[in-house]
Amino acid sequence: MTGVWILAENLETGRELITIGRTLADNIKSDLTVITWQSELSQEYIAYGADKVLLLPALPQDQPLQSYIPVIAEQARQDMPEIFLLTSSLLGKEMAARIAGQLNAGLGSECTALRWIESEAALEMDRLFYGGAAVQSIRCSHAPRMATVAPRSYSPASRQEDKRGTIDELPAPQPSPVKLLERNARSQAAGDISEAKVVVCIGRGFMKQDDLDLARQLAEALGGEIACTRPISQDMGWLPEDLCIGLSAKKVKPDLYIGLGVSGQIQHLTGIRDARIIVAVNQDASAPIFAAADYGIVGDLYEVVPRLMQALSK
Amino acid sequence: MPDILCCYKWVADEAYIRSGSGGDLDLSMADYKISDYDKNAIEEAVLLAEQHGGTAAVITVGLPDDTKGIKDALSRGPEKAYFINDPAFVDLEPAQTASLLAAAIASPIPYDIIICGEGSSDLYAQQVGPRLAEKLGIPCLCYVQKVELNGSELIAHRKSDEGLEVVKVSLPVLLTVVPDINNPRLPGLRDTLAAGKKPVVEFTAEDLPSIDTAALATTATKAATIKRNSRLFDADAAGIEELVQELKNSGAIA
Repeated sequence: MTGVWILAENLETGRELITIGRTLADNIKSDLTVITWQSELSQEYIAYGADKVLLLPALPQDQPLQSYIPVIAEQARQDMPEIFLLTSSLLGKEMAARIAGQLNAGLGSECTALRWIESEAALEMDRLFYGGAAVQSIRCSHAPRMATVAPRSYSPASRQEDKRGTIDELPAPQPSPVKLLERNARSQAAGDISEAKVVVCIGRGFMKQDDLDLARQLAEALGGEIACTRPISQDMGWLPEDLCIGLSAKKVKPDLYIGLGVSGQIQHLTGIRDARIIVAVNQDASAPIFAAADYGIVGDLYEVVPRLMQALSK
Repeated sequence: MPDILCCYKWVADEAYIRSGSGGDLDLSMADYKISDYDKNAIEEAVLLAEQHGGTAAVITVGLPDDTKGIKDALSRGPEKAYFINDPAFVDLEPAQTASLLAAAIASPIPYDIIICGEGSSDLYAQQVGPRLAEKLGIPCLCYVQKVELNGSELIAHRKSDEGLEVVKVSLPVLLTVVPDINNPRLPGLRDTLAAGKKPVVEFTAEDLPSIDTAALATTATKAATIKRNSRLFDADAAGIEELVQELKNSGAIA
């Protein structure tokens, strides 16, 4: 048996995983292994707290990152880590589920907190379900206990100057039956709403696409970005999917979120729960967003937004 | 002429969730529905079958009473349903559901493409699709938002953390689809009537190997209240100025 494994996709979420991975490794008095395919980061992960790095060799151009899954699963089958953590990115969630499928392992998805329960030798995991309307705690007592961890659940590990560790190479994967034809980075024309300090969110209260300028002007006045609810991107097609906030879309954590004509479905509220201040503008006083908001205005957004712009310009 | 099999889950509607005494999760008022993103999965299966002259069928794991879901699913266009059910199939974890699906599919049920939603609207563990692909030993493409099928070759556009990937694979394949892949049709009265006449093949626990013991134990569930102060301001100029002042005081705006 080996201790705690984490799969690091990048330095940012990798350092978050090292924080909780290190804690759990200390709990079970074992060591922390980081798996990465970025050779340039191997020493970095050691400096941030890994005892060992397992380095995956670079892939040919036409191979997607998922091609690593069989190699990681095989190594896990041999070494049988007590705990194996990944980040709950799209890639992390897919890799975790497929590796768990190969190993018949218990896996907690998109966990917000992890604890070691000594008396049961169990990993306890907290996670949301029912679109965020409920939370559950689940325990897994058989190795490899697997979890994907929601980004920002833990603070990034700090650098230690004298940390030492070993680096081992993993074998190259067999060619995948899936061929990568094209990889397109998200267009940077629109800002990334998950990093925005101010988010102005467009809901069904908007009557036509031309009216979205009202929200754009408000976002501009506040130095923020516009975003939208699922019906606006999906049903109306007024804005790209990239700007959609929700459980299966983007999650945001701005200092200020202003929902304009947003009713507040639970999946949307789950996407904004980390906002520092939530302001809701909606004509319907019974809209669920008001209960989840710090400040609310019951009124017509077509009248409220211009007044808001005026008040801001003072 | 591809055979397309679509997996769906019959779930409690989260809109009916109440917080019971002590914050316990109260599902007693809950109505049931086809999990939201599984409606996109069914629609995509039916669209592909319509475009390429194949067949579309649905498969689900549930309790013997969940027949309303079968009829709902069939009213959305598939021509046949496979219903894996047993009174013991309560609160299955993703690994168990995937094993049951894999065993039934291996019995065999013909397929070239299996389509799942990206996650269920109850657990949203996003595991059954990928686990099923591994059990069946077939390629898996997740978060697909567009599918092109040319004979036995499938090209998928899938969402990635950086943006978009276009990938190619030979059938058979399992796809999990995201909600923006299509807009599911709304079944009409005629579709609902037709659904009642479509064939349903049942599998019970006796027809399948015994399911794996659960790897996960649930130790607590609670209703999660997202509740804040909800201070209301008037919609007139004075009320809005007051709100702006409050936002400035709190440091949310400069």
